[in-house]
Amino acid sequence: MAEPKPAQPQASAQQASTPWHNPLRDSRDLRLPRIAGPCSLVIFGVTGDLSKKKLLPAVYDLANRGLLPVNFGLVGFGRRDWTNEQFAAFVEENVRAHSRTPFNEATWKFLSGGIRFVQGTFDDPAAFQRLSQTVSELDSERGTQGNHAFYMSVPPRAFPTVSKMLRDSGLSHSQSGAWRRVIIEKPFGHDLQSAKELDRVVSDVFDPGSVFRIDHYLGKETVQNLLALRFANMMFEPIWNANYVDHVQITMAEDIGIGGRAGYYDGIGAARDVIQNHLLQLLALTAMEEPVSFSAADLTAEKTKVLSAVRVPHDLAHTTARGQYAAGWQGSEKVIGYLDEKGIDPNSRTETYAAIRLDIDTRRWAGVPFYLRTGKRLGKRVTEIAVVFKRAPHLPFEQTATRELGQNAVVIRVQPDEGITLRFGAKVPGTAMEVRDVSMDFNYGSSFTEASPEAYERLILDVLLGDPPLFPTTREVELSWEILDPIEQYWATLGQPQPYRAGTWGPKEADEMLAREGRMWRMP
Amino acid sequence: MIVEMPDSTTSEISRKIDQLHEERGESAQSRVLTLIISTTDAELENALEAANAASREHPCRIIAVVPSSSRTPIVDDDGTCHPLDAQVRFGADAGAGECIVLHPHGGLNDHLDTLVMPLLVPDVPIVAWWPTNPPFNPSADSLGRMATARVTDALRSDSPAATFAELRENRTPEDTDMSWTRLTVWRALVASLLDRPPYTPVLKATVRSGPAYLPAYLLAAWLALTLKVPVTLETDPDGEVVTGVSLWREDGEMSLDRPHEDKCIISLPNQKPQTLSVPRRTLEDCLSEELRRLDPDEIYAEVVDKGWDLVRRPA
Repeated sequence: MAEPKPAQPQASAQQASTPWHNPLRDSRDLRLPRIAGPCSLVIFGVTGDLSKKKLLPAVYDLANRGLLPVNFGLVGFGRRDWTNEQFAAFVEENVRAHSRTPFNEATWKFLSGGIRFVQGTFDDPAAFQRLSQTVSELDSERGTQGNHAFYMSVPPRAFPTVSKMLRDSGLSHSQSGAWRRVIIEKPFGHDLQSAKELDRVVSDVFDPGSVFRIDHYLGKETVQNLLALRFANMMFEPIWNANYVDHVQITMAEDIGIGGRAGYYDGIGAARDVIQNHLLQLLALTAMEEPVSFSAADLTAEKTKVLSAVRVPHDLAHTTARGQYAAGWQGSEKVIGYLDEKGIDPNSRTETYAAIRLDIDTRRWAGVPFYLRTGKRLGKRVTEIAVVFKRAPHLPFEQTATRELGQNAVVIRVQPDEGITLRFGAKVPGTAMEVRDVSMDFNYGSSFTEASPEAYERLILDVLLGDPPLFPTTREVELSWEILDPIEQYWATLGQPQPYRAGTWGPKEADEMLAREGRMWRMP
Repeated sequence: MIVEMPDSTTSEISRKIDQLHEERGESAQSRVLTLIISTTDAELENALEAANAASREHPCRIIAVVPSSSRTPIVDDDGTCHPLDAQVRFGADAGAGECIVLHPHGGLNDHLDTLVMPLLVPDVPIVAWWPTNPPFNPSADSLGRMATARVTDALRSDSPAATFAELRENRTPEDTDMSWTRLTVWRALVASLLDRPPYTPVLKATVRSGPAYLPAYLLAAWLALTLKVPVTLETDPDGEVVTGVSLWREDGEMSLDRPHEDKCIISLPNQKPQTLSVPRRTLEDCLSEELRRLDPDEIYAEVVDKGWDLVRRPA
């Protein structure tokens, strides 16, 4: 047996490479909040809906919770001819309308001191020179120390232009000790090839570790709680496999139509819009093996592994379904069909509902179908992951006693009403033996704070801290397209998607798809 | 809704709570802890206000016990004894849970543990809080003994210095004093000062505060312990709370000053001073923070055990 190596030289070598550690921060000190270091956030597309409703309020909420540094700047970049003050008024208006925490004058005064606006278009080099000047001014006036994050809340076709401008103006490069990060929103392309092209463009300018892809679902408490449920408990993981699980249903239903997104949505459709990112990420978290730690590298390794094991069925005609919403009544409101929406080609073959079956070729999941579905103008707005278990192999009751007994299920409710439901059989009170399904609910809101932070607060803070576990990597994005591309190619050969009445749970095709396999969709 | 229950029993109170839950169609199962408040009549409403607000973040059952100073039982002419008056608060008069106020009389004052036991939420942690004067030894107190975490507030006791000396003497890992909780925002700000270059060691530090302000001593002890440098305490005769902290590195002085209630001025070498909004922490903020983590606070333990004697406090 080899002699154990002397530890001394190794230890000192390590010490030399260890980065400086703040003596006042101790991992055991759980009271101290994680506050971002000095930095600024530059938002492109700052007058857009996402920015107005989510990003600006999230920045304010972070400030109000004391999680932003003193040296913080917020820069808006847009076409409007605004002064800093006019932009600040615009931010204030949206903060007042949409922030989660109450409006506080003192917080606002602190935040507004660092607000700047740069007027310009994405292809105007002079505007980027002004932006460059503005952030250096923030460095000297607010002490942001050259750390800047760029949030691209812009259509994907603008990415290449903005990235190039950031490079040419020198904004994408930081001096030593400072960082530059870029945040991009979905869609990450519309197929594998375009995703790779997009990645090439962005990684040409920013190094891969500085690119943060936002999938806001991953910032939701319940999604992170899925990891706690699976890996912090004893009673779920032993049955989380093909021996006990019959199938898994992942649903993201929206009650709204396409609204003002006609230009983006037509030609993209439900699968590219939602399945490729949100639903496949939820699938990965539900199905992955236990990561050795929750660091970004280990978590990504497991997600990548499980995504690479996903198999698309051969018989796509019977294992996928598409639909398009037709006119109807959404709850109590009369709504028009997709083809009548403003800006939509009346012959459009874009699907607004998509359901697919996927299999995972691992020992854990062999033979367990994962059904993913998403759609617009469905019965209600809900996102959930339902793990449905097999029936008990033997029921020692009269057959009549268990007639009403369904399959056990663990349902992770992602939104709204975040929580977990367990579904199991219980005896109906009375003299006869009769077993019926009952639900046991865990409700996030009632056991923990009423005010769990918005997903964007968490994610923006993570970007500013440079903490990447909750952001999908390039590889994950590519694997997701590899899964979806064959399905999209098959759908492109088909005609019009099956219409479904607005306010229902999708086209007949989708129900038949499960019925053929002896299953049915849950009613979420 | 406040239900007065004069001359009551614990089983009557339990039944009343179950009945109220049933009428309102809610379940008592989602309470995450029981908060026992041991207090006086004078402090009761103030403490309940903070506890009710904190219960929105930590849905809990609040049991406020107001022991009477007299041990004489309340007895009728015919000899029947009335040891307990109670009150149950629900809905708008409580936070996100229910609130039970107990006024024990006579000999019952010596058996407070068995008085609250039937009223505890099953299978969840118990936190005991003394908003003003704590017992001499909280972990030996009849209510304190049952608790998973014990929270005292020496600063609001009649004699902060003497109280804290006793608490320090009798401290167990489960005890925390709110003087420490009051510092969290200050500690976060001070820690963030060091997050910027040059990353060189701190040479010395100063903490400024109003006269004999207990949390300032803890802040100084924490800095002395973690930075391993001399820390000076300066008294600001006009101040009430912590009014400033300065750290020196080779490039000069970094200081935090809070001249006003909610404004903090940060001055760094070669930079214009910045103003940050730092509102003074309320009792509710501190209580919410205490309820967030119920496991022993190791850092506080080290500051009290090892850091305390590293600082020279004004006599």
